[in-house]
Amino acid sequence: MDLGRLRFFLGEVLANFTRNAGMQFTAIGTVAVTIVLLGAFLYARETVQTFGTGVLSQIEIAVYLKDGVDDTKAKDLGAKLAMDPRVASASYVPKKEGLKRMKATLGPDFDTSLLTSNPLPNTYKVRAKDPDSVPNVAAWIAKDPRVAKTDYAADTVQKLLKTAGVLGRIGIALILLLSISAAIVISNTIRLTVFARRREIAIMQLVGATNMYIRMPFIAEGMLAGVLGAGVAIGVLALAEHQVVPKLAATLAFVTFRVNELTLCLELLAVGAAVGLIASWISVGRHLRA
Amino acid sequence: MIRLRGVSLTYPNGTRALDDVDLEIEKGSFVFLVGHSGTGKSSLLKLLYREELPSHGEVYVDNIRVDTLRRGRVPKLRRNIGVVFQDFKLLSHKTVWENVAFALQVTGTRTKDVMRMVPRALDLVGLSHKSRMFPSELSGGEQQRTAIARALVGNPKILLCDEPTGNLDPSNTTEIMELLQRINLKGTTVVVATHNQAVVDRMRRRVVRLEHGRILHDDERGYYFRGLGATAVLPR
Repeated sequence: MDLGRLRFFLGEVLANFTRNAGMQFTAIGTVAVTIVLLGAFLYARETVQTFGTGVLSQIEIAVYLKDGVDDTKAKDLGAKLAMDPRVASASYVPKKEGLKRMKATLGPDFDTSLLTSNPLPNTYKVRAKDPDSVPNVAAWIAKDPRVAKTDYAADTVQKLLKTAGVLGRIGIALILLLSISAAIVISNTIRLTVFARRREIAIMQLVGATNMYIRMPFIAEGMLAGVLGAGVAIGVLALAEHQVVPKLAATLAFVTFRVNELTLCLELLAVGAAVGLIASWISVGRHLRA
Repeated sequence: MIRLRGVSLTYPNGTRALDDVDLEIEKGSFVFLVGHSGTGKSSLLKLLYREELPSHGEVYVDNIRVDTLRRGRVPKLRRNIGVVFQDFKLLSHKTVWENVAFALQVTGTRTKDVMRMVPRALDLVGLSHKSRMFPSELSGGEQQRTAIARALVGNPKILLCDEPTGNLDPSNTTEIMELLQRINLKGTTVVVATHNQAVVDRMRRRVVRLEHGRILHDDERGYYFRGLGATAVLPR
């Protein structure tokens, strides 16, 4: 690479960039706002997803057996369950064990002295390999003549995930709109720079510079605005994470806030650069064709 | 070197700038395009560096048909043609050196070659000692010489000048015309559009006179007005 050429190019970009400092700040700010929202959204989505799939994978189907089903017959059922490819595990909890566990969970306040007999049925705890198949597996098990009833907590979780999905779509639409507005601001900024540099552009065209060459500094400038905006946004997000997440984590102890931060940062920078590139490409192209 | 065949140019607003013009300019020649303002001199030059496209006819420059040239090929054509204007078109925030180097840098010339070619062009126009000045610190003649250096720095085969002395006083005008003559002697084809009668009559070069978009006369060693020397009393 010819260092002199590189220096000339970078000099032109910098001169462009500083010429419309005010406009550039607006552009960078708009990109930053967009990307802060995008980042927060992606962060939240990843957290909800991790949380949701975590919960779902832990869902147990409680299979309550009919009263007359003794331990031997129950073992037969267990073998049948274990053979099904959708089932990850099936553990047998006889009624005595069930009562013991209940006492252990509920503690000393749970008084069993009044019970004349154990009211709990023999139970299987079944885990499905795929959280999505839980309803099917539960329905299949319920058909067995030895089974009184199956139960699982999936309804709640599935509602949660569905809500998260809808919110996700709304979020994507919102971010798309914001990206478009950021692109428009950048494109206007570039158009101002193009206008400020119309003499240079005219001379470049006159002496035989290619359109691609003329375009490059403006593209670089747009990308610079996009990347700087993304950088500002990442700073804001990092600060927010530092301030807010510990408090949230204290309140919502069951939610894990684990997000791949490096990937997220790179994604956001890429989005900023892409918005800048597309916006400036379009606005310079329009000028060169005219 | 330059050939126009049946060229007409009508602007979108209906103005007919050129009307069925045939013209041939030999390699290495020096030609004046003369005529009043608005007779199509500038339009004719613009056709040559493809700033305008003819409505009819064919335009050839250096054996390349310009009017049908693909857009992507235009930069290459223009690197072969230097253009100088009445208003110099220099960049005020760049020095003389930078203005001249700009033409090379934006066409992707290697720095090594820029360092070699810019001094040569500045030397040719006699501005080596002012290379670090800005256009605002120069006289009109010096600014035009900077513009000429910029037009020539890439060694084009053709130099087109659109009213190069229009903004200059007589002594600067003489200076610029002598420079153009020197450039021509080095083999560059020079075409000068002007309505400066004194310049044309003093130089006694080929004169192509345009009127209402048509060639009125075309004389070797001609005068601004056919058959009239510089001393004649002119109807105006």
